[in-house]
Amino acid sequence: MREWWSKVSQALHRRRGFDDDLSEEMRAHLDLITDENMERGMAPDEARASARRHFGNLMTTQENTREAWQFPRFETVLQDIRYGLRGIRNAPAFSLAVILTLALGIGANTAIFSVVYSVLLRPLPYPHGERLVRLGESAAQASGIAVTWVNFQHWRAESTAFEDMGAATGADFTLTGRGDAVIVHAMLVTPSIFQLTAMTPVLGRLFTDAEDKPGAAPTVVITPEFWQSRLGGDRNVIGESLELNGTLYEIIGVLRPAAKYLWRSTDAFLPLGRAQNPAARRSDHRSIRGLGLLKRGATAAEATANLDAIMRRLAQSDPGPEDDHRSYVAYLAEETTGRDLRTTLLILMGAVGLVLVIACANVVSLLLVRSTARAREIAVRVAIGAGRARLARQLLTENLVLALIGGALGLLVAAWCLRTLIFIGPRDIPRLTGATLDLPVLLFATTISAAVGLLAGLAPILNAGRVDLTTTLKEGSPTSGAGRGGQAFRSTLVVAEIAMTLVLAFGSGLLIRSLVAAQSADPGFDAHHLLAVELQLPRSRYFSDDSVRDYYERLSQNLRAEPGVQDVGLVMCPPGAGDCGDIWYSFLEKPTPTRDDVPLSLFNIVDHNYFRAAGMHIIAGRAFTEADRAGSVPVTIIDEELTRHVFGNPQLAIGKHLKVGGPYVDGPTLEIVGVVADVSQMSLDDPHEPAFYYPFSQKPDSAMVVMMRTSADPAHSTSAARRAVSAVDRNVPIQSLRTAEDWLGATLERRRFATLLLGLFGSLAIVLASVGIYGVLNYWVIARQKEIAIRLAVGAPRSAILRWTGFHATRLAAMGIALGAIGAWGASRWLKSLVFGVSADSPAMMLLAGAAVIAFAAVAASLPVWRAVQTDPVRNLHEA
Amino acid sequence: MSTVDDLCKSLEFLQGTLEVLILRSLHAAPNHAYGISQFLERQSDYAFAVDNGSLYPALQRLLQRRWITSQWKTSPNGRRAKYYRLTPLGRRQLLAEKSKWMRFVEAMSRVLAPER
Repeated sequence: MREWWSKVSQALHRRRGFDDDLSEEMRAHLDLITDENMERGMAPDEARASARRHFGNLMTTQENTREAWQFPRFETVLQDIRYGLRGIRNAPAFSLAVILTLALGIGANTAIFSVVYSVLLRPLPYPHGERLVRLGESAAQASGIAVTWVNFQHWRAESTAFEDMGAATGADFTLTGRGDAVIVHAMLVTPSIFQLTAMTPVLGRLFTDAEDKPGAAPTVVITPEFWQSRLGGDRNVIGESLELNGTLYEIIGVLRPAAKYLWRSTDAFLPLGRAQNPAARRSDHRSIRGLGLLKRGATAAEATANLDAIMRRLAQSDPGPEDDHRSYVAYLAEETTGRDLRTTLLILMGAVGLVLVIACANVVSLLLVRSTARAREIAVRVAIGAGRARLARQLLTENLVLALIGGALGLLVAAWCLRTLIFIGPRDIPRLTGATLDLPVLLFATTISAAVGLLAGLAPILNAGRVDLTTTLKEGSPTSGAGRGGQAFRSTLVVAEIAMTLVLAFGSGLLIRSLVAAQSADPGFDAHHLLAVELQLPRSRYFSDDSVRDYYERLSQNLRAEPGVQDVGLVMCPPGAGDCGDIWYSFLEKPTPTRDDVPLSLFNIVDHNYFRAAGMHIIAGRAFTEADRAGSVPVTIIDEELTRHVFGNPQLAIGKHLKVGGPYVDGPTLEIVGVVADVSQMSLDDPHEPAFYYPFSQKPDSAMVVMMRTSADPAHSTSAARRAVSAVDRNVPIQSLRTAEDWLGATLERRRFATLLLGLFGSLAIVLASVGIYGVLNYWVIARQKEIAIRLAVGAPRSAILRWTGFHATRLAAMGIALGAIGAWGASRWLKSLVFGVSADSPAMMLLAGAAVIAFAAVAASLPVWRAVQTDPVRNLHEA
Repeated sequence: MSTVDDLCKSLEFLQGTLEVLILRSLHAAPNHAYGISQFLERQSDYAFAVDNGSLYPALQRLLQRRWITSQWKTSPNGRRAKYYRLTPLGRRQLLAEKSKWMRFVEAMSRVLAPER
C-alpha cells in the first residue's frame, strides 16, 4: 500500500519532468537528423524540414509514449475525479440533493449498524467468548432455570463437551464495622469463573479450589471499584478482614481494574462451594447460574445432549422430585442480548435499510434525469471516439465521487446520531454505551457508500449505453433520451418508493399506537403520588421473623406520622419491578393436574395496608387484615388473572384452597380470602401474569418496599422518608428511593426507544419518497410540456390535461400502495412481538398508513400536475 | 502509419518484435533513440523502417520493466542526447527472447519453404 502510494506521488511529481524530458529528447533527435542532413549538403531550413518529415508526428509520438508511461490508468481516474468534482460545482443544486440524501441514508444506517454491531455482533470481551455458554436446568414449564449445586457438580465431573465449567450466584451482604452499614453486592463463584471471564488479581491472589469447600476459612476477593470507594485504595488491605453479615472474611486479593464482570456490578467475590450445604439434595435450588466453556468444535446442541444424558443417569441413580429436569445450554453472546432486543434491533436495522433503499431510489432517479440532460454531451463524446467502457468508467467515477462525499458527510451524521442514540437509549440495553464508530463500522459505511455509488451509477450508465447518436445530436432538445425505457424505469422507482414508505409508515404507526396503548394502559393501581422506598434489612441484625415484623411496623408508624403522608403499605415486589419469583400451584377443590401440566404463578408479599395504600381494587372477598397473624389460618389473596382460567367468576374462588408448589412439591396450603385486580407486574406493555399474595404477617421478608401515599408531589417527601428510615435504625441502608411512576415508566424505555426510531425512519422515508415522487413527476411533465401545449392548442380542455396527468400519478400511487400493503402484511408478522394493545395486522392501521402515504404523495404530485395544467400553449410552442 | 518515404517496401513490425530488436541493438553499445532506429534499419538492410511513434513508447515500456536504463550524455559530434543502456535484467531477457525468436523463425521457414 505504502509502495503504491509512493509510486503515485512520484508519478504526480514527475509528470511535468517527464514531459519536459521527452520533448528535449525528441528535440535532440531532430537535431541529430538535421546535422546529418546538413552534412549531406542541405541548407539549414531544408535540413530541418526534412528532419521533421522523417521523424513523423511529434504529438502522436509524445502522447503514445506518455500512455506507456507509469499509471496512465490512474491518471485518467484522476481526470475523471477532477471532472466529477467540476460537475458537482457546475450543478450545485443537483449535487447537494444527491449528497444530502445519501448522507441521511448512510448516516442513519451507520449509526444503527454501530449499535447493532456493538450490542449483537461484537465478540464478548472474554477469551474464547464465542464458546462461552450459560448453563441451567429446564423443566416442562420453564427452561433456563437455576441449576442445583449437586447437579452442577455432576456436570462438571462427568461431561465431555466442556473445557471448563463454573457456577455463580448473587448475594447481598451487609458490611458492618466500617462506618455506616452498607450493602455489598457480592457474587459467590467457583474459582473457575475467574479463568473463564479472564479476571486476574492486581494485588494478592484469587481463591483456590481448597478454599472453595465447606468448612474452609472465609475469604473474599474484592473489586477495584469497591477497593477504591470503600477502602481508599489502601495497598495494605490484603490480610485485613471484612465483616459481612457478621462473619469476618479475610481479604486475599484485589482484582485488576480491566476486569469485565459477567453479571451485575459487583463489589466482592466469595467462594461458592464454601457456602454449600454438604447434605443438599439434587433438587435444592439456590439460584445458581452455570457458565461453561465449550470444547473447540463442540456446539451448544451437543453439549445439551451430553448434559441431558447425565441428567437421565442421575434420575436412575439418585431419584428425586425433579427427575424430569433436563439441561439448558445457550450461547452467552445471544443470552446477554435477549431475544426481544435482538428482534427489536433487527427490525430497526431493516427499517433503516429501507430508508437507504428509498434514498438510493431517489438518487438513481436524480442521476437518470441528469444523465438524460447530459445525453448531448455524452453523444458528443461517443462521436469523437470515447469507448463505451471509458465512458462507463467516467460516469461511474463521477457517481462514486458523489457517493463517497455523501458517505463522508453521512459519517458526521452518524457520529451525531450515535451520540443521541446512546443518550436517549434505554439503560438496560447491554453494551449500548460501548457503541462507537470503530473500524468495522467505518468499513460498513464505506462499503454501503461504494455499493450505493455503484448501484446508483449503474442505472444511468445502462441508459447512456443506449444513447442513439444521430437523434440525440440532431434533435439536441433537453428531453431527448427520455425514452419509453427510461420513463418506465423511473416510474418503477416511484412505485417501489411508495411501497416501501407504506411499509415503514404502517410499522411506525403500529408502534406508536402500541406505545399510546401501553402508556394509557391501566396499571391496576393508582401510581400518582406514590413513593417507593426499597429496603433490605441486614440479616445479622434482623435474624428472626419477629424482628423483621417489628422493624417494618415501627417504620410504617413513623412514616405515617410524617406530614403529607396519607397512607403507608408494604410490598415485596412493586408493580413494574418485574418478577420476584414464580412457583407451581394447584387448587385443592379442582382436579389434580398431571406432573407436566402444573401451572406456574408469580407470588408476592404485601401487608394489610398495601392494597388500600396502592389503590388496588378488591374484586371479591376481603383484603388482608390485622387478624391474619402468624399463628392464624394461612391465607392468600389471588389476582383476577389467576381466577379467570379456573373459576370464571371471582366470587367462586373465595373459601377455596391454593396449594403452593402444586400437588407434587412440598408447600403450604392457603385459604383464598380475596380476589384483587390485576396490576402491571412485569411492565405496562406485558400481558398480565397470574399472581397470588402472601400476607406479610404470615411470611415476613427482610427485603421489602415501603409504598407511601403522599398528599402532594412525592418528591417532596423523599427527605422525610430518609429521615424516618435512619431514625428507626441507622444501620439499615436504603436501596432505592423513587416514585411508583418512575418504576412503571422505566418499563417502557425500550418501547419508547424503538418507537421513536421507527417513527423517525418512517417520517424520513415519507419525506424522501415525497421528494422522489415530486422529482419524477415533475420530469415527466417537463418532458411532455410540448405535447401538452399541442393538445391545448388543438382545443383540449385543461380538465383533460388534469385527468391525463392525474391518472398517471394515481396509477403509480395505486400500484405502490398495493405492493406496499403486501409488504406491510409480511412485515406485520415480524413486528408481532413489539405490538401491544392493537392487532399486528390491524386493517384500520393499514388504512391510516395508506391514507397518510397517499396524502403525502398527493401533495408531492400536485405541483407537477398544476404545472402541467398551467402550461401556456402559445409561449411553449413559440419557444420550441 | 510509417512516415518513411519508401513506405511500400518496408516491413511492418510483428507484435513484440520491436522490443527485442531494441534490446539487441543496445547489446552492442548504449545508444540514443535515433541511433537505435538507424542501427535497426542498417542491420536489416533497410527492410525495417522504424516509426518513432512506435519506438518511443516501446523504449518507455522497456524502461518500466527495468530492462534498460537511460542517461543524458554528449554524443561524439557534440550533441546532448539521451542514451539507453541494457541492464543485467535486460541482458537475460534478450537471451530468452532471442532463442524464442530463432525457434519461431526456423519453424516459420520450415513450414513456408516451398519444397522439403
